[in-house]
Amino acid sequence: MGWLPWSSGDSSKTTASDGGRIAPDRTSRARCWEGRDLFFACLDKNDILDGIKEDGKARQKCAKEVAEFEEACSKSWVKYFKEKRVMEYNRDKTIERIQKEDADKVKELKSNGWVSK
Amino acid sequence: MPAPMRLANGLLTRAIRTAAIESAPTQRLLRNTSQCRAYTQAQRPRCEQSMRSMITSQNHFSTSAILEKQKTMGQLRQRNTTGPFSWKAALLFVLTGAGMMLYFRVEKARLERKRMTEMSKGVGKPKVGGPFVLKDLEGKEFTDEQLKGKYSFVYFGFTHCPDICPDELDKMAEIIEMVKDSTKDEKLFQPVFITCDPVRDTPEVLRDYLAEFHTGIVGLTGTYEQIKNVCKQYRVYFSTPKDVKPGEDYLVDHSIYFYLMDPDGDFVECIGRQDTPKSAASVILEHINDWKREGKPLKTE
Repeated sequence: MGWLPWSSGDSSKTTASDGGRIAPDRTSRARCWEGRDLFFACLDKNDILDGIKEDGKARQKCAKEVAEFEEACSKSWVKYFKEKRVMEYNRDKTIERIQKEDADKVKELKSNGWVSK
Repeated sequence: MPAPMRLANGLLTRAIRTAAIESAPTQRLLRNTSQCRAYTQAQRPRCEQSMRSMITSQNHFSTSAILEKQKTMGQLRQRNTTGPFSWKAALLFVLTGAGMMLYFRVEKARLERKRMTEMSKGVGKPKVGGPFVLKDLEGKEFTDEQLKGKYSFVYFGFTHCPDICPDELDKMAEIIEMVKDSTKDEKLFQPVFITCDPVRDTPEVLRDYLAEFHTGIVGLTGTYEQIKNVCKQYRVYFSTPKDVKPGEDYLVDHSIYFYLMDPDGDFVECIGRQDTPKSAASVILEHINDWKREGKPLKTE
């Protein structure tokens, strides 16, 4: 199984006549994103955040989704999306934490008689 | 009208009237006044009226046409009590004020944009952008000179980009259409896509890739050194591996801004992920219109 769906079998399709490498088109991108979304939905269901660190568990619980995801996207994309998922999770957590801290601070100040403008 | 106000107005009216009589001290007028005293009570109003009209007709320096038309006491009293303040005057005042405010706000925004643009022009070399030599989709040489005379909209990316570049290029296509609709002259705005991944992105690959987004985008590629140079000029973070094996799978880190460059090739504005196609198009159109208003040259062929 090739890591690029558009590369499986016919290798001439990956290389342009002037030596460049043909990029995924709109259709294959859409297919990759779809595979990614299904895989991530499965991870959510099984309470897995990091698809790289918990690779074994993910492969066991979401065998079908992993296979489809890796079939539809290139290796670098698979890695990128898995890392992005963790990064976005941490980012959202951080934003949430800061907002909570802000709200707590405001509450504390208000109880001390501070009035917001 | 509240009572104190009416009183004040009455006093004012009286003062004006006295002043008018005193300020036009012609003999005829004084004679007229003394004549009035001889009249009976019933005749007095008519006398007063003729006197008033005489005063007004003599006060050429201050009277308006309206005043001369006002013959009856009622009309005069009305004018005296309201003075020069009528709803028309109030409306004129408010409209002028609103107009001025609007004008100043627009001008302020324009000057602010101009100041920002001037700042990035600096004295010597522009801070972002500069000379480059690359290859277009036909494989022909393409330099920064070919972008001069138009507003160019430059984006750096690569065709094997997983999700951000395709999103941004879809946005670019929308922006292009919006600007084209508003200017009715598509030629003064030139979208450009420069690849950060010259090894994989040859003219042919780029052509097929960009055709899916918008055919109006000029795609540029070049040698590794040429691309590295243009990225440096535009202050784009460049991390493309130099020696990649054929078939190797890798991603390229790069900045994800659109750069709006003016017809002199100077940087004007950055459009980022937070901008919607609409907000981006309006920013671009503002700059194009400023340029046109100042009567600076634009290439439209």
